[in-house]
Amino acid sequence: MLNKRILIIKLSFIAILIVPNLAWTKDIEVHFAFVGQKDDAALLGAHQGLIEANLQGRFLNQKYELELINFKNILTHDFSKYIAVLTVVDIDTYYKLVDILPNIAIFNLSIKNNLLRTACIKNALHIIPSNAMELDATNQWKKKSPHSSAKAQAWHPDFVKFAARDLNKRYKKHQQVSMNDSSWAGWAAVKMTSDTVARTKIDNSTEMLHYLKTELTFDGQKGSVMNFRETGQLRQPILLIEKNKIVAEAPVRGVAKVPALDSLGLLSCKK
Amino acid sequence: MKLYLVPLIFFAFFYNQVNACPTGRIFITNERGDTVSVINGDSLVVEATIDVGDRPRGIGISPDGSEIYIAVSEENKIKVMDPVSLKIIREFNAGSDPETFAVHPNGNIYISNEDDAKASVFDPKTGEQLAEISVGLEPEGVAISADGKRVIVTSESTNMLHVIRASDNTIEKNILVGARPRAATFTKSGDIAYATAEISGEVVKIDMNTGEILKRGSSGDNKSKPKDVVLNKDESVVYVAAGRANKVVAMDAQTLEIITSIPVGKRVWGLAISKNGELLFSTDGVSGTVSVIKTSTNEVIKTIKVGEFPWGVIIND
Repeated sequence: MLNKRILIIKLSFIAILIVPNLAWTKDIEVHFAFVGQKDDAALLGAHQGLIEANLQGRFLNQKYELELINFKNILTHDFSKYIAVLTVVDIDTYYKLVDILPNIAIFNLSIKNNLLRTACIKNALHIIPSNAMELDATNQWKKKSPHSSAKAQAWHPDFVKFAARDLNKRYKKHQQVSMNDSSWAGWAAVKMTSDTVARTKIDNSTEMLHYLKTELTFDGQKGSVMNFRETGQLRQPILLIEKNKIVAEAPVRGVAKVPALDSLGLLSCKK
Repeated sequence: MKLYLVPLIFFAFFYNQVNACPTGRIFITNERGDTVSVINGDSLVVEATIDVGDRPRGIGISPDGSEIYIAVSEENKIKVMDPVSLKIIREFNAGSDPETFAVHPNGNIYISNEDDAKASVFDPKTGEQLAEISVGLEPEGVAISADGKRVIVTSESTNMLHVIRASDNTIEKNILVGARPRAATFTKSGDIAYATAEISGEVVKIDMNTGEILKRGSSGDNKSKPKDVVLNKDESVVYVAAGRANKVVAMDAQTLEIITSIPVGKRVWGLAISKNGELLFSTDGVSGTVSVIKTSTNEVIKTIKVGEFPWGVIIND
């Protein structure tokens, strides 16, 4: 009898310990897919984004994971658990992916092709700037500095303004290499998605795609609020680099028209 | 000596010990100039420029007004200045890349260590680290309630205000706000706080007991990237430094609607208001100036040239 009572007390004690813990366990588990190669710089960037997402998730009971998938397996792989798919693939594979996964955001981290933007594919989100954006950036700069041979980049390891210094510092610390355009794009794709999960608790891919495309206000650590055009292209400032030094930022002040970020690249869809 | 004077002398002696006579000076950290500019509170003229070390940013004052604390970021140190002699009297290590901090009524310093996703607590008398609190990425702004019970640390890249219970230095709440929260301030009662979010261009008003966001207000056009935030004396107006919009925005503390925008120098970040509530000082980073705003009219009455990239400002009043 006494033993039984002790057992009940013990059990209820354990229950008291367990129940709040259950309530505290991961509220949301988020999975990303990365279609590409294991040595892609964008994958390192995505891993950095994941570290940061989990740091934020620690305060919100959210957990983030990423799975690397070989492009050869895309037709057979089950993508149903992923919140979004990050890709470093050729353009044909990209078209195939957006087609077979119509209700999930397919982040393009590497292809600069303009037609991919004007095609306005509803689940295509292009983080990396298009060729047209880069060309507009260098042309704007040439109006100010006609003899410059600067080239356009999405990111640079010497970028310090707008807290870019902090991102460069922590990326180098964790990944042991400097951040470049690809790794910035991988980081940004994970970060904007995890920021959205934190803010909205959205945990399914269809709603995530809709939110990213229509309601995003993303801090890409380049100073401006970033969001997506109808074309699926991420609006963003672009750096102009000459002899590996940052010489300017586009939209170039005094040259670009307002709203400035839309002075870079293509805005409308090809009907 | 007349006997009745004894307690008076005693009092005077202790008063001096406990409450150092305020100098009235305004202290400015110049991030790129590696100096502190000292402005005379009566004449509003720079009376001294003191070399303090590599990249001074956050600046604060001890509760009794007898010591000025300066976060020298690139040296990972806090340096302590005597506000009267203007000499650096000691320094201590303050963790990696110390930036912004606030002084607790008990004299301890709560500081954000931007590189380490941590906030730490130091005793500035001994330089001893008393506690370390894990927070989000790029912790920045620190605010402490007047009763000393709560500390807010903003983490810019995690988009949160971490509310720390000062009694045991644990996080009691995490409040998600707009993108890149930079600074916060409490009302005197400690029940309400205001915070700025730089990238979303927002000011939020928060119920500190529930963690609920009561109101959101825009600090202006899309150039407006709000940083420092202070309340006026009767807590009816919130002043916000609007960064590259080159103005200080006065907002109604109830509705968060803009009352007026006060043009100041370029890239305005730091703000401090005098104890009597009459004057508001802003640091205009790119212009290298401090603007002095009269709060009764919300007009700039003086622009003072200081060092290169002025960042923080405090008043010894």
